[in-house]
Amino acid sequence: MSRIARYAAVALILGLAAVLTLAFARDPHDIKTGTVGKPAPAFALPSLTGSATVSLDQYKGKIVVLNFWSSWCIPCKQENPALTDVWERYRGTDVVLIGIVFQDSADAAREYTARLGNTWASALDGDGRMALSYGVFGPPETYFIGADGIIAGRHIGPIDEQTLMTGIETLRAKSATR
Amino acid sequence: MTTARWVIVAAVLAVGLAIAWTARPQPQTAAERVDRISAELRCPVCQGLSVQDSPSETARSMRALVAQRVAEGRTDDEIRAEFVRSYGDWILLEPPLLSVGGLVWLAPLAAIVLGAALAWSRARAPAPIAVVAGPTDEELGRLRELVASEPE
Repeated sequence: MSRIARYAAVALILGLAAVLTLAFARDPHDIKTGTVGKPAPAFALPSLTGSATVSLDQYKGKIVVLNFWSSWCIPCKQENPALTDVWERYRGTDVVLIGIVFQDSADAAREYTARLGNTWASALDGDGRMALSYGVFGPPETYFIGADGIIAGRHIGPIDEQTLMTGIETLRAKSATR
Repeated sequence: MTTARWVIVAAVLAVGLAIAWTARPQPQTAAERVDRISAELRCPVCQGLSVQDSPSETARSMRALVAQRVAEGRTDDEIRAEFVRSYGDWILLEPPLLSVGGLVWLAPLAAIVLGAALAWSRARAPAPIAVVAGPTDEELGRLRELVASEPE
């Protein structure tokens, strides 16, 4: 075997090993493609309560946790206690939690929030355009938007309190150093 | 050239021109453009289905967005880019070659080329010459003793 062919074989094996290592080391809930690292798409959607519009602009300078949910989504119910705890902890601070109703009727969504006692703002994405602009696959999905308006991370699937806290505190620490 | 040959050449040219005319790129209608772009986009909530083929609500939303962008006069590239901005190259059923997805498609080709190069280099290499070790000094000594002890 020539020297070049031997080096090429070694490079191919090392490359394959590197790809497999990266693939297995990646958290499947943490998808980096698409909108992560880019400015969060602006939105202005009708509030679930019907009283006003919920827009990203009104939370400029704050850390926004954007949670896509549906009343028909069982994992959304599973993650709801974690969202409630985090909402109670950060309520009135520089952190805002916004729910986006995904492919659901307003009535079913209102009944869901009333039943679970959710008091954070939720907005209706009737035509699904806002979810498409964020690159949503399906509920539940959670986005962490920094005070600079950049999407710092996203979590696919039901989120737990620890992941929420880590995401928020990382962004708070980043804001403090700016 | 005889008249008959001229007629044959003219007939062949006429048929060729007619085929080229019918096969010329036709301007697509808006609906055809929506169908084509939707067929190039992957449905995010399906298993290997395009937006065009999927009956899911997400695919319906995507198709409606494509239709709106076509009506707004956006180009195909602009519409595709909008979905790539949200979902990455993954959203394209045929990702560009110079992307991670494209590299995955190129990997088997690279393996074939490498294998062929290995086979070629081995075929060209001269056959190894078998090296037979000679007898040791001890063996030579014993042989000499045996030869010497042979009756003449």
